[in-house]
Amino acid sequence: MNDNKSAASGTKFSGADATTDLRLVAARKRLAESRGQEDAIEGLREIVANFLGSEEIGLLRVDQTTAALQVFWSFGIDTEKYDLLLALGDAGRERVMGGECHVELAARDRSGAMAKVQAFVPIRMANQTVAILAILRLLPQKHSFDGSDMELFKLLSNEAAMPLFGANGHSKPATDEHLTDERLTDEPGMRA
Amino acid sequence: MAKKILVVDDSKTALMMEREILEKRTNYQCVTAADGQEAVEKAQQEHPDLVLMDVVMPRMNGFEACKMMRQQASTREIPIVLVTTRSEESYMEAGFQSGCNDYITKPVDGAELVALLQSYLGE
Repeated sequence: MNDNKSAASGTKFSGADATTDLRLVAARKRLAESRGQEDAIEGLREIVANFLGSEEIGLLRVDQTTAALQVFWSFGIDTEKYDLLLALGDAGRERVMGGECHVELAARDRSGAMAKVQAFVPIRMANQTVAILAILRLLPQKHSFDGSDMELFKLLSNEAAMPLFGANGHSKPATDEHLTDERLTDEPGMRA
Repeated sequence: MAKKILVVDDSKTALMMEREILEKRTNYQCVTAADGQEAVEKAQQEHPDLVLMDVVMPRMNGFEACKMMRQQASTREIPIVLVTTRSEESYMEAGFQSGCNDYITKPVDGAELVALLQSYLGE
């Protein structure tokens, strides 16, 4: 069992100072030019893979009536075996629903091994969290998230909802199998 | 005359990013292709000074495209830099065996990329 929860942080988005960050320019442009939901999801996958260094990504949809969370789309995660809600946890869920980014920073577990870095980013529309972007295991050459990654989280939080879900933010979950790529992952959200 | 770089990636996002880096931080001219097959064709037509190419792509991947360019007289000498998410040594070795000159991993650091390109093309 690891204790990486102790390294978790709730990151308030403030003080944008990365307007020159070319990643932000490209990410904004990609989202804005998305043609429909499927293309927007592909854009999101590309942004996370190319700019944030992860190929294990999930998108949870928030039911605006019941506040229940449901897996909407995933890539590189076997959602039958890995429970994104368990990985998010109650504290994380509270943060993200309140508009904060929940980041599990690099930490060592009791055996001395590095625990997984992961992030949960609220996708916001009209001051509400309408979905949660889960970014799990990072590529080996990417060790952690930095300040410019936080700026990118902020951009996704503020600008991804419209291309993903349209103006009212209420499109139905995608059920097509091609939207879910299955690959195994491990700990800490692994189902028993 | 501006040096020309052929940027190859099936990801629109990666192409946008690499184009932004080249246009905003260098004087290099940028042409693009969306897969290895198109890259081989564009390399013959455009005679770029360098090819910056993703590995995992539809139709023809970066390794195959690299091999094809090395087999053709008109593209044999063009420096090729492969860009990929994979950092394993065996994967890099496969890249060098396909004939690439250099290898850079994603996420791409803009300053690192510019420095690498300048090492081949000058400023």
